Amino acid sequence: MPIGDGGPALLWLTMRGLLGLSLLLAATSSQKVFSGDQVLRIKAKDEKQLQLLRNLDISEYLKIDFWHAPARPSLPVDMRVPFSNLKAVKNYLNSRGISYAITVEDIQVLLDEERKGMMASRRLERSTSSFRYNSYHTLEEIYTWMDNFVVEHSNLVSKLMIGQTFEKRPIFVLKFSTGNRTRPAIWIDSGIHAREWITQATGVWTAMKIATDYGEDPVLTRILNHMDIFLEIVTNPDGFAYTHSMNRLWRKNRAINSNSSCKGVDPNRNWDSGFGGVGSSNNPCSETYHGPFPHSEPEVASVANFIQKHKHFKVLISIHSYSQMLLYPYGYRKEPTPDNEELHNLARKAVEALSQVHGTEYVYGRTISTIYVANGITIDWAYEHDIKYSFSFELRDTGIYGFLLPASQIIPTAEETWPAILTIVKHAYDNPY
Amino acid sequence: MLARQQRLPGWAGPMAVLLVVLLPAVTQAFSGLWRTLEPERQQPWRRLDVAPSSPVFQQAARAALHYFNYRAASPSTFRTLKQVRSGTAWVNAKKGQRFDMEFTIESYKPELNEERLGTCSALVIFKNHKPKPTVNITCTRLLDEKEREQKDYVLYKQMKQLKRPPDGTRIPGNLGHMDSSLQPMWDLAMVGSSYVMWEKTSQSLYYYMMQLSGVKQWITRGDFINFNYTVLLHEFSTQEIIPCQIHLLWYPGKPLKIRYHCQDPGTQEEGSGNGEGSAENPTEILSNF
Repeated sequence: MPIGDGGPALLWLTMRGLLGLSLLLAATSSQKVFSGDQVLRIKAKDEKQLQLLRNLDISEYLKIDFWHAPARPSLPVDMRVPFSNLKAVKNYLNSRGISYAITVEDIQVLLDEERKGMMASRRLERSTSSFRYNSYHTLEEIYTWMDNFVVEHSNLVSKLMIGQTFEKRPIFVLKFSTGNRTRPAIWIDSGIHAREWITQATGVWTAMKIATDYGEDPVLTRILNHMDIFLEIVTNPDGFAYTHSMNRLWRKNRAINSNSSCKGVDPNRNWDSGFGGVGSSNNPCSETYHGPFPHSEPEVASVANFIQKHKHFKVLISIHSYSQMLLYPYGYRKEPTPDNEELHNLARKAVEALSQVHGTEYVYGRTISTIYVANGITIDWAYEHDIKYSFSFELRDTGIYGFLLPASQIIPTAEETWPAILTIVKHAYDNPY
Repeated sequence: MLARQQRLPGWAGPMAVLLVVLLPAVTQAFSGLWRTLEPERQQPWRRLDVAPSSPVFQQAARAALHYFNYRAASPSTFRTLKQVRSGTAWVNAKKGQRFDMEFTIESYKPELNEERLGTCSALVIFKNHKPKPTVNITCTRLLDEKEREQKDYVLYKQMKQLKRPPDGTRIPGNLGHMDSSLQPMWDLAMVGSSYVMWEKTSQSLYYYMMQLSGVKQWITRGDFINFNYTVLLHEFSTQEIIPCQIHLLWYPGKPLKIRYHCQDPGTQEEGSGNGEGSAENPTEILSNF
C-alpha cells in the first residue's frame, strides 16, 4: 500500500503502533461475534489523518470494513468495526486526535420487520387459545404457554422439571398420562440444537395436537390409555435464549469451557455412546465439541438420568433440522444394529405417512450412512439402553432456508411430522417388548 | 591353447550364481520403479457400492449444480437439486472420487410464482480431499434462450430499483422472513455464493447458503450490478458457520465476475479467490469500483 506524505519517521511510528495493536488483539480475540459491531464515521482533518485511516486497513486482525473508504479530507469515512476490536480502534483514533462519531451503535439490533412484529405480540398470554402456532416464540413465551397448556389440559398433562441448565434455567418436560402407575413410555425431544427453531415450534404444536386428539383419534387414544408420552420441547434453553438475543445460528449449549474462550458443548455429541470418536470434535471452539466427558452437560445428564430412572421407555424420538431425513442407529459405527431390518421398514412406513400430508419427501436410513458419522448422539445412547425404537428426525428443509425456515412452514411441517411420529409410536404399541 | 581362450574369468562362476540369486530382487526393483512412473496402471478405480440416494451422490450433485449455477449466471433459472436418479461412483485411493450421475432439478421462483423441472447429467471428480472438484455438467433447458434472457432482464430491472438495505439487515431475517422485494437480491447472492461453494466443496465438506448477513454495496456501476455482501455458509459436515465476503459484478447474459474472502474456523486457512467467466484481468474489477 503506498504510503503518502507521512515521511519515514511517522511511517515507522505508525507501523509500530499498528503492530502493537494487532498483536494485542490477536492475543485476546479468538471467537467470532456478529453483534455489537459499530459503524464509525470519521471526518479526517487532513491527508495525514486520512493516511492513518488507510493504515488501519492493512491490519488483518482488526478486520475493519470500510463502507466509505478514505478518499479526500472533505468526505466522511465510514467504517464498520467488529465488536471485539472496538476498544482498540477507538484508542488508536483518540491517541492520534482523530475525531469520530458512532453512526450505528449495534448493527445487530437494527431493522428486522418480523422481530418488531414479535415484540408487538410479546404480551403475557393468559390462555393458549390466542397463542400463534404459526409464529416463532421466545423461551419466555414458550414457558408461559406451557403453564397455560397444563392448566387447560390438567386431566392429561403435567409439567415436570428434570434439571437445570448450565446457566441455571429450568428444564421442563410435559408428561401426557392417563394413568398413575409407571407405564411404558415414549420420549420426544426437540430443540437440542438451539438454532433449529422449526423443532421447538413443532414440539409446541405437537403438544397441542396430542391434547386435542386424545379422545378424538382412536389410535392415539388407545396408545395413551396404555402408555405415557414425555415431551421435552426446549431441550437446550440456554442455547435457545442465545439464538434470540445474540446469535441466531448458535448450536451448542452455553457451557464455559476451561482453557478456552470458546463456549458451548454440542449436546448431541455428549452422550455416552461411542463418545469422543471422529464424528465429534475435541476442540471447544468447534460446533461439534463433545465436551470433557460423557454426560458432562446438565442438559444431557438430566435427560439420561430421567430415562434411566424411569426404566420403561420404549420409544425415543429426537427432533432436529434440517435435511428431511428419518434416521436410526448407529451414527458412530458402520455395523447395523441387530434390529436394522425392523427399524428400516418402520422408517419407511413413517416417511410414507409423512409424505401423504403435503408431499414432502424424506430420505431414511442408518445415521452413519445417510447423513454422516457422528459420535455420542442421543439415539445411539438410547438404543444401547434398551430403547429399541430410537429415531432422529431432521425436519424441513433441504437447504434453501436451512435453519431460517420461514414461519409459514411451521404448521405444515408439524402437521406432516405428526403422522410419522404416530406411526413409530403405534408400532411400538403393537409390538411390546 | 584352446582351453585357455575358452576359459571364463575366475569370477564368472560366482558372478553368474550371484546374478541368478539377485535377479528376482532386481526385477522387483525395476517393476517398482515402473509402478511409480505409471501409477494408474497399479491403482485402479474401484466401484463404490452406494445407492443414488446416498449422501455421497447428493453432495456430488450439489457440487455440480454450484458450478452450473455459477457458470450460467442466470438468477431466473437457478437450479436446485431434486433427486439423484442414477449414478455410478468410483474411488481411487491415490486420485480421489469420481461420480457419474443423472439427477432431476427444480427451479422455483416465488416472486414469479412458477416452478420448473429439469434434468442434468454430470461427471464430478474430487481430487483426494481437495476442494474445487472438476465438473462436467449438462442440463436440460428450462426456458429457451430468448425467454431466459428476458426473465433475467426483468430481474435485472427489479434489481436496479432496489436500494442497498439498511445496515444490520439480514436476509432472510432471523425468523426466516424475506421481503419479497428483496428476492432478486437473494437470487443474485445465490449465484455468487454458488461460485464460492463450488470452490470450497470437497469429498468431506459441503455447503448451504444460510443468510446474507450484510450488504456493503449494491449499486449499478455503468450497466453492471455491483454487489458486495457477506454471506453465512453452513458447512454441513462440521456444522460450522462460515462468513464469506463476496464481491461480484453482474449483467444479464454476461459471465459473472467475482472475488471472495472467507473466514474459515479453527485450524483451516482463510480461503479466497476470484473468478470471471471472461478473460478479463481481475485487477480491472478493482479499478472500476
